[in-house]
Amino acid sequence: MDVNQAKQEHLLALKVMRLTKPTLFTNLPVTCEDRDLPGDLFGQLMREDPSTIKGAETLMLGEMLTLPQNFGNIFLGETFSSYISVHNDSNQVVKDILVKADLQTSSQRLNLSASNSAVAELKPECCIDDVIHHEVKEIGTHILVCAVSYTTQYGEKLYFRKFFKFQVLKPLDVKTKFYNAESDLSSVTDEVFLEAQIQNITTSPMFMEKVSLEPSMMYNVTELNIVTCGDQGESTFGKMSYLQPMDTRQYLYCLKPKPEYAEKAGVIKGVTVIGKLDIVWKTNLGERGRLQTSQLQRMAPGYGDIRLSLEVIPDTVNLEEPFDIICKITNCSERTMDLVLEMCNTRSIHWCGVSGRQLGKLSPGAFLSLPLTLLSSVQGLQSISGLRLTDTFLKRTYEYDDIAQVCVVCPYTSNES
Amino acid sequence: MDTGEAPAQRPVTLDITVEDVNKDAPGPPQPDSSETPSRDSVLPQEDSIDLGGEFATPQEDSSATPSESLMDKLNDQMMESVMISDSPNNSEENDVAPIDSFLDGGEEESGGETSGDKEEQLETGQNTTEIKVSVEEQDMDGSEEKVEEDTKKQADTQEEDTARVSPQGDTQSPSDLKNEEPAAQSASGTSPKEEPVPVCTIFSHGTQPKSLVPDGFQPTLIKSPSFSMGSGGGSDEAVTPSKLTAPLVCQPSPSLSKFFTDNGQTNPASDFFDSFTTPSSFISVSNPNAEIPSGASPAPIAPTPDRQLSSTSSSISTAGGSLDSGTPTPSTVFCPAPTDSTAKPQPPLPQMVPAPAQAPASAPTTHPQPFNQLQAVFSGNDDPFATALSLSEVDRRHDAWLPSEETRKMLISVATQQYSPAYIESNRLTMPGLKFDNLQGDAVKDLMLRFLGEQAAMKRQVLTANSVEQSFTGLKQLVTSKNWRAAVDLTGRLLTAHGQGYGKTGQPTSHTTDSLQLWFVRLALLTKLNLFQNAELELEPFGNLDHPDLYYEYYPTVYPGRRGSMVPFSMRLLHAELPQYLAKPQEALDRLHNLKTVCLVILENLEKGLAEDGSMITLTQENRQASLKLWQSRLSRVMYSMANCLLLMKDYVLAVETYHSIIQYEPQQRVQLLSGIGRIFLQIGDVKTAERYFQDVEKACQMKGSQSSHTTCMLMNRAFVYLSQNNYAEAHASFTEVLKIDPKNPVANNNAAVCLLYLGRLKESLGQLEGLVQQDPALYLHESVLFNLTTMYELESSRSTQKKQALLEAVACREGDSFNTQCLKLV
Repeated sequence: MDVNQAKQEHLLALKVMRLTKPTLFTNLPVTCEDRDLPGDLFGQLMREDPSTIKGAETLMLGEMLTLPQNFGNIFLGETFSSYISVHNDSNQVVKDILVKADLQTSSQRLNLSASNSAVAELKPECCIDDVIHHEVKEIGTHILVCAVSYTTQYGEKLYFRKFFKFQVLKPLDVKTKFYNAESDLSSVTDEVFLEAQIQNITTSPMFMEKVSLEPSMMYNVTELNIVTCGDQGESTFGKMSYLQPMDTRQYLYCLKPKPEYAEKAGVIKGVTVIGKLDIVWKTNLGERGRLQTSQLQRMAPGYGDIRLSLEVIPDTVNLEEPFDIICKITNCSERTMDLVLEMCNTRSIHWCGVSGRQLGKLSPGAFLSLPLTLLSSVQGLQSISGLRLTDTFLKRTYEYDDIAQVCVVCPYTSNES
Repeated sequence: MDTGEAPAQRPVTLDITVEDVNKDAPGPPQPDSSETPSRDSVLPQEDSIDLGGEFATPQEDSSATPSESLMDKLNDQMMESVMISDSPNNSEENDVAPIDSFLDGGEEESGGETSGDKEEQLETGQNTTEIKVSVEEQDMDGSEEKVEEDTKKQADTQEEDTARVSPQGDTQSPSDLKNEEPAAQSASGTSPKEEPVPVCTIFSHGTQPKSLVPDGFQPTLIKSPSFSMGSGGGSDEAVTPSKLTAPLVCQPSPSLSKFFTDNGQTNPASDFFDSFTTPSSFISVSNPNAEIPSGASPAPIAPTPDRQLSSTSSSISTAGGSLDSGTPTPSTVFCPAPTDSTAKPQPPLPQMVPAPAQAPASAPTTHPQPFNQLQAVFSGNDDPFATALSLSEVDRRHDAWLPSEETRKMLISVATQQYSPAYIESNRLTMPGLKFDNLQGDAVKDLMLRFLGEQAAMKRQVLTANSVEQSFTGLKQLVTSKNWRAAVDLTGRLLTAHGQGYGKTGQPTSHTTDSLQLWFVRLALLTKLNLFQNAELELEPFGNLDHPDLYYEYYPTVYPGRRGSMVPFSMRLLHAELPQYLAKPQEALDRLHNLKTVCLVILENLEKGLAEDGSMITLTQENRQASLKLWQSRLSRVMYSMANCLLLMKDYVLAVETYHSIIQYEPQQRVQLLSGIGRIFLQIGDVKTAERYFQDVEKACQMKGSQSSHTTCMLMNRAFVYLSQNNYAEAHASFTEVLKIDPKNPVANNNAAVCLLYLGRLKESLGQLEGLVQQDPALYLHESVLFNLTTMYELESSRSTQKKQALLEAVACREGDSFNTQCLKLV
């Protein structure tokens, strides 16, 4: 980042160094035993080496701090810190020095200097030091513009600028996926599960200090990333919560509509705002980064006018034996419906009972439970399909296929074999 | 050893704005404007002009001083080769002693003789001083001469090693044996050689030590004739490469071992050059040893009996009875004394007398003798044997290893002489060789040449492979002075002398304890130098370190009765760790897991009351405890490596788990380990968990009572937490608090300075770091600190290059050739 000033006629020199965290020096232990040829020499060398841990010289990770060796990468959400030093290289006193540090991004220009007042004078071999900090909020090219203006001994006003360009990269890849708690039999709750896949796309390990979901006003959120045993919760990611480069981790959250919204089950329709993820990570020696996702939106499952859910269904049934299910039919529309139930057999699923029966009137928001009997003629995992509800007022038919699955087994197999 | 070199130069190089520092460092954080006045005075001092001036003046002095110090060094070194005991080395030697075998007797002698030689050398040294020779060429000469000497020695001792250096000294070209050359000639030859190469007079002082260098090796040269091997040996060698002339063949080692002499005392290198064929040298060695006790350290004595004992125990212990019954091994081992006496004309004769105590027992063993009896005999004996016993214990404990099933079978068949080692398929053998020739180079000097000019660069004085004794001592010297590149070169030379030099990969060779130690040191240094690829290349021929010829059992005659792995455990560990630095951490983990498994099995064996390898030897309680301790420490070392590797892989979960599990093995490191784990969490960014660990640290500290080191540790941890919370002010305060307790703490000093920068106080931060580097270069001329400092220089002004160059000068007069110049950011 350090660009040599080409024009030496300037009395002042501007130097900029990015201050990432220092690193701990690691040494390379080579040891031998007393009986070996070098005797204690290697041991002695290691003990004399100031960078080793006294008493445990073979421990690689030392305590000596070393300054950053290069500019490194900077990622969105991290703090860009930089040392700006203006040094008087000349042998004359320089007056009225003004150092200005601006950061130009693709969208805006920010002033980062701590103070904007001029320094009255700078004697030879003296410095003006400034450490600037800026939390990076944009991806892409950033240019640090440092401008120095000053007046020489002879009253000449001089001015120069230096530009330092760097790229801000994306640290994380976040993918989200919603699961509707449809199979939940008490479907009144309308739970939504959010799976967030977070991938570390930097080159260093990342400690995920916080990955939380800040729900929108309609929901309460439960984090499902901690297994509570006793009073202490244990992370599902094990003891060490860090993410190696390119590793991905799945976070799971359960969202429940707040009671006041849940009551109007039918109201949650279309696109709803679920909330946003707040991610805080740390890297080397506590270098911190923080990101928030945009509002996560979810398309509420299209229940349409009539919502059909299952209240009771066996998971395993015998081949060619009737079994019962209980359907719950909710009127999600704003009007009263008069429903007729039709049942169409599929290749494997056969409905028992009369098709085309009247279910009667159903007012808005009301529901009815409907016990049904069916049998399967084919083994294996079978999908229950073929229910048709027709609203006689509007002559509109609603089709329900793939309502649920049952596992069909043959009760005799064990005997035969 | 190198105490002499630095002090003279220190003041010269380190004044990078002295005043500046003093004013800045102690001063509390102030706004810049308040500092300005002080700056003023500093101004003229800072820039290149001043630095240049300051360095220019002392030039003459410094050119003199370093060379003087070098001279001292060389003298020291030479002294070492004469004096038998040198405090730093002593302890090690004792440890090492068991490794070396039979050859001690010979060495002992040579040690005695060195003093005489020494004087001669000095004389020759003085003669040569007048001749001005350029450094490089001088060096070359030195090396050639050494090499020559080697060859002569080898010739004398009629070893048929493959790697040879031409006597003409062109370079180290492998050539064949130069038996013809009498040792005497070479001695005289040295001085004439040096004369023809006059060049540059800059190093008027330098020449002296340099010229002395080759002399350092003369003692060996002169000694070898004393073995009187020269004539007889030479002829012998030409005639018989056969294994039957056992004692004769074994002798090469004494003289060659001179080459690697470790203060001429007990010589770990002694069996270094046992050639492939070396047969039973057992008795020939044992005799001298038997005599030695009167005169010398117990160390050399020990090995002999120890071997015997261990041999007995081992053969008894082996699971299959095969070893027991076969025992042709002992027969070769205890070869009749007569041969021996002929072999070692000089020493043996007198030695034979005291020897009988041992010899009679061994002599009859031409027929397999019940080992129990032997053991009984020895155990009844007095001190030397007791030591021997304990040494064999130490050997067994350290060398224990569990070879793979295939290798184990092969070793058993070798031991039972079902087939001779020579017939083992070559793909089951280890045939290493150097993969690159010369690594020598000094990045610091290169930089100096580039930035400070030739003159300044000439001032840089570092030890090179040429400037030290071509021995383990020299090697250690290079390692200690952080001239690891030179040390790698030296290992290369020593290995070349052992026939495992450049291009020798795939050629049959034999291994000794010392050759493998050399390999270990070489590979370890390459690793330390971050030359991982090179290390990997050279490790390749070793396979998975499980070839039969890497076990003592493979050489029943050379290491009679000794069992276990010749490859030091540290080398196995290095071998396992290496792939992780080459982006193959999984492979490293696999290997480390293998090591761990072996450690666990051995520990289990010990728990069950067996020996390490699962054989049914009864160990004394004491020995068992020692063994358990050793293997537990090895296990924990392996665990450390695994944890480090996992950390490198960024598998933090497992890394943390592994570090945590080390606590049970190393409870005294609890505080450091928990803090380390805490830092790992900080590194990931998990500040909360880190804080939990730091709380555990505080609890652990409280339990252990208050020690200043613990308070330091707690404050340090707190500072890191503040740092992670972006609270640099508090972090700085915590680091400063550490400094109140431990003002010299380099970490806290450096970290406090780093915090200051983040607080926008560049000048203060710079001042603090500069002050540190200036006041205590030993601690602060460290990569990390220099890196921080140069980074701040770059940030501070456009004249960072000059300041960095000043740092380079500071580095140049303190650091060896292994210094990582990248941290200076000059290029």
